[in-house]
Amino acid sequence: MKNILRFLGIMAIGGMLAFLISCNQNQSNTASLPNSAGTQSSSPVMAGSKPQININTALLSELDKLEAKLASPALSNKIQASRPYANVQELVTKKIITQAQFDQVKELVTIETIALTGKAKDVDYMVKLGLMKGHLLVAKELLDLQKLDQAEPHIGHPVEEIYADVEDQLKERGVAEFKTSLVKLQDLVKAGKIVPQIATEFTTSMEAIDKAIAKLPAADLQDPKFILPVINGLLDTANSEYGAAIAEGKIKEIVEYQDSRGFVVYSSTLYEQISPTMAKSYAKNHQAIAPVLAKLKPTWPAAIAPAKAVTSPEEVTKMIKAIEEASNGL
Amino acid sequence: MVNPKGTSGLWSRRQMLQWSLAGVGLTGATLGCQKLNSLGSSKAIAIPPLPQNLPPVMNNLNPMTVLRDFDYGTVTQENGRTIREFRITAQNTNVQLNSAVSFITWNFNGRVPGPTLRAKEGDRLRILFFNQSGHAHTMHFHGVHPAAMDGIKPVRNNQATIYEFDAEPYGVHLYHCHIAPVTRHVGKGLYGMLIIDPPTPRPPADEMVLVMGAYDVNDDGKNELYAFNGIPDYYMQHPIPLYQNQLTRVYLLNMIEWDVAATFHIHANFFDIYPIGMTTKASGRSDVVTLGTTERHILEFAYSFPGNYMFHPHQDFMAEAGCMGSFEVIPPN
Repeated sequence: MKNILRFLGIMAIGGMLAFLISCNQNQSNTASLPNSAGTQSSSPVMAGSKPQININTALLSELDKLEAKLASPALSNKIQASRPYANVQELVTKKIITQAQFDQVKELVTIETIALTGKAKDVDYMVKLGLMKGHLLVAKELLDLQKLDQAEPHIGHPVEEIYADVEDQLKERGVAEFKTSLVKLQDLVKAGKIVPQIATEFTTSMEAIDKAIAKLPAADLQDPKFILPVINGLLDTANSEYGAAIAEGKIKEIVEYQDSRGFVVYSSTLYEQISPTMAKSYAKNHQAIAPVLAKLKPTWPAAIAPAKAVTSPEEVTKMIKAIEEASNGL
Repeated sequence: MVNPKGTSGLWSRRQMLQWSLAGVGLTGATLGCQKLNSLGSSKAIAIPPLPQNLPPVMNNLNPMTVLRDFDYGTVTQENGRTIREFRITAQNTNVQLNSAVSFITWNFNGRVPGPTLRAKEGDRLRILFFNQSGHAHTMHFHGVHPAAMDGIKPVRNNQATIYEFDAEPYGVHLYHCHIAPVTRHVGKGLYGMLIIDPPTPRPPADEMVLVMGAYDVNDDGKNELYAFNGIPDYYMQHPIPLYQNQLTRVYLLNMIEWDVAATFHIHANFFDIYPIGMTTKASGRSDVVTLGTTERHILEFAYSFPGNYMFHPHQDFMAEAGCMGSFEVIPPN
């Protein structure tokens, strides 16, 4: 009897073991599947010493390197517009470049998650902070007009849409966290009462973003080669948001109108910083950019949206593309 | 259609292709039998002819197309496993919700609800997601997957990302944008269904998708309009034809924000309920079933008598504000 029980016990353990092993095998099968998507791989992928460009995520200014190498005008925009890519070969199958062109750049492109380095990393960081600034600038205008309900989404957006995307970089660069301050500010504004803490908390948040920006090399912040890619990153988003605001010639979504206003206002501020250098060292590019930027700005006459769109989304797209193209070849 | 990126050439070509494919699908369905993906199901299911000349509503897609449109993805084999690849773009589309109200939707692939993605349990899903909609967006799937694939990390405007995970467990699931305020991102239209079929296929049936949604058109935190499959009152004006005595399988999902629950009801009949689609045995029978936001079930029924039968949530204010439809039960040929 005892023996039988023992036998059954061993069988049961054996069965469990077999079950556990099969579970493990299943798991390892899943794990060993080549993740050609690669979105989880965290190690930076390099080809020789050249950092690669992720064609699914790179900013236009990064893609411009491919455009320059292949001397193919407007290639960056084409690559961006034809996302997403399952593999790099799709640059050819989607007829964006020829096989011969692909062979010239295949070492430079990837769809693996890459750790950005150098200038590309700084530009990416600055674009995210720039988007936050844009949101808060328009929020400030609305707070000054005592439109708390309209200001609220623009205080929310930096936390909801951007912070999680820049958090690692903030830590890495030794920036004190400021999410708490942004959330506090949002809570105050949501409460709907005009209280002095709103102004205090707003200043704290804005200063925190400025401190984060100040972690970048001071020279870069005056350098057109650094600032123009940032401006184009901001304008690219402004363009899409403006398109999301307008239908049938009317401004139907004021949140997106105001978002795009904030990004364009901050882009203009950034351009003013580099304007003298542009005029002196890159006169031709300056002559192409400055008038378009001046023409673009009146699209957003005030933080409170006009009923009718001043400029059509198509016209805005055209101007923003023109600025992007004129930023090339500095 | 709002096209913020000035890529109209590319888009119109791609969409033409989508439309023509949809058109072929529709013709195929009206001509004969629904081809079931389920292997081994021998019994063919007949789909009644669809009403002709239905007005296009959204990018030439109308809820009658959306109803039986299952996207199985592009299938490849890697290391002996079935990979299903889906390409999804978040975009903005102005939609005429009724004769008085137009609304700028944020959506997946130009439609509300987004494409109904479908796979078999154990397949590998690879979803290539591109955001062309301005705000940051994501695709957050309900189901089992690693944290990195949970779709909460913002994907900025004009960026793409790839979600990849195993299709598990079988059931009726969903995906939606998870950027806050989720109420607005979902309310604008960023949601869709994911069906994972069980290893042993369900019996043949006339299968269809019904997603209950709602629109807060003036951003006041309350819904003004409700709809099945995106367009208010569409199936009331254009009833869904069903064959008498044929098994109908509805994949039902509630994506209504701002209201806590909706109680789906069909007239003059009862349905079997398969909760979350995670069983192959019905859990019970009813003519009303209450679904909280993102709750979903499989319902099965057949009508014994010809005629028109309404279906709607029994929160009647929702029905009266657009979440109302009708089955037209017709005798077999």
